[in-house]
Amino acid sequence: MPNSDLNSRNCRTSAGSIATPDPARLPQARSLAWQIVRDLGGVAILAIASLAAGLVINRFSLSPLPIVYQTPEQRFDAELTTLVAAPPFKIAPAATVGLDEFRSAVASKSALILDARPSLFFEQGHVPGALNLARDDFAQDYRQLSLPLKAATDKPIIVYCAGGECHDSRLVANALLSLGFSNVSVFTGGWDAWSAAGMPASTGSVR
Amino acid sequence: MMPPGNLRRNYAVLAVSIAVAAVFIYAGIDKLRDPLQFADSTAAFAIVPAVFINLLVMGLPPFEIACGVLLLGPWTRRIGALAVAVISVVFFTALASALLRGLTLDCGCFGVGAPSRSRMWLELALDVMLFSGAMFVYLRSITRLPAPAP
Repeated sequence: MPNSDLNSRNCRTSAGSIATPDPARLPQARSLAWQIVRDLGGVAILAIASLAAGLVINRFSLSPLPIVYQTPEQRFDAELTTLVAAPPFKIAPAATVGLDEFRSAVASKSALILDARPSLFFEQGHVPGALNLARDDFAQDYRQLSLPLKAATDKPIIVYCAGGECHDSRLVANALLSLGFSNVSVFTGGWDAWSAAGMPASTGSVR
Repeated sequence: MMPPGNLRRNYAVLAVSIAVAAVFIYAGIDKLRDPLQFADSTAAFAIVPAVFINLLVMGLPPFEIACGVLLLGPWTRRIGALAVAVISVVFFTALASALLRGLTLDCGCFGVGAPSRSRMWLELALDVMLFSGAMFVYLRSITRLPAPAP
């Protein structure tokens, strides 16, 4: 047998002599390898059992996680959407203002005026200087208006919607109160009363 | 009677098992306390797809606690040690990948903390120690198994 063949089939010891694998140890090595594979199987079973236990623990926890992860922004959006989704009969009554008070606030620009109607109606006509915080898109609009809203934390805020039986202004006003705005009121007459009184109007998508 | 060398090694296995088990049980219980924060920490690694993050967050704390408990029992120590070794490799890979990508985050390994790269390096070192400890226990346990029948 050539020397290179011999070296490839055997291994050299540190002393330089050639040592052949001990055939008696082969079954032991195989058994050890098989044991490691079986143990890895045990680890896999442990992982599956842990996931099952985690699902059960989550099911009975005080604040369970949803199955699919939501980013902090998505959670905030969901929270904001929930705030304005309360049925009208559950809304705490917000302070209200009449047409005269509303008109003077608009003229003196002493309050932040918010239009709670959908953007389509807002673009067709709104109170001059008003910003659109639509109840329908509350989470998105709230984030877009974060700067003017932050500046108006202690300033009076007056919310209006279409008027009459419209609840959007009250829903938005209560959501803002929940979010920490202290001086929020509702112009109950809404857009109907404003336009019926022949007050000026702006158009377009000012936000 | 057991030779003194073997006896010392058995005590060493027991000591390492208890230490690793304590770390894992503590980490598991801590993660159970604030799963939402742990989910945000996991998402910050940007490795796990969003659909699997919460499943991982739900399953990992029981897995860590189970690893710790298994490490404490003489008959279950082998599986516990291998599980710790496997999960330590996973943690190490995630942390090393975040460090290589220049991320600064709170790994969520032991409760909530401020994102810090120095802490990430420390936790990487801890992973190496946990892996070494777990492999020591596992290899000691597996080589003491009875020889196969001829």
